[in-house]
Amino acid sequence: MSRRQTPSEFLNQIRGRPVMVKLNSGVDYRGVLSCLDGYMNIALEQTEEYVNGQLKNKYGDGFIRGNNVLYISTQKRR
Amino acid sequence: ELVDKCIGSRIHIIMKNDKEIVGTLLGFDDFVSILCRTIVFESTPEGRRVTRLDKLLLNGNNITMLVPGGEGPETN
Repeated sequence: MSRRQTPSEFLNQIRGRPVMVKLNSGVDYRGVLSCLDGYMNIALEQTEEYVNGQLKNKYGDGFIRGNNVLYISTQKRR
Repeated sequence: ELVDKCIGSRIHIIMKNDKEIVGTLLGFDDFVSILCRTIVFESTPEGRRVTRLDKLLLNGNNITMLVPGGEGPETN
């Protein structure tokens, strides 16, 4: 059981799923993951931006540069 | 090495931003780590906890310390 393909495995699994992305600045984004690459660059759809309260609503595509990404979290409800 | 032993068990990660993350380590490479059943502890005016289920892909750039088998905010 070797799980050494951490980036590519994650890439393939979470596309199309609702995710939560936190940036280094503390800004939170929730949306559906369109694309993700090994640099943690992200394309999201239906993104909502949260800083304390709710700031912006983005519909369509939002692009986030991976340099700023602290983490990407999936939220699956079983 | 040490982190390799930790795969499949609980790990406690402390970040530069003074955030702490506790979860089960699924995998890692030179740059990122994947956790499962993750809880994120952020320190606000109160002690706030943000809970996440499923997976978390964590950017290794901001990691300060890894504590295998760690519990949570026991640091200072």
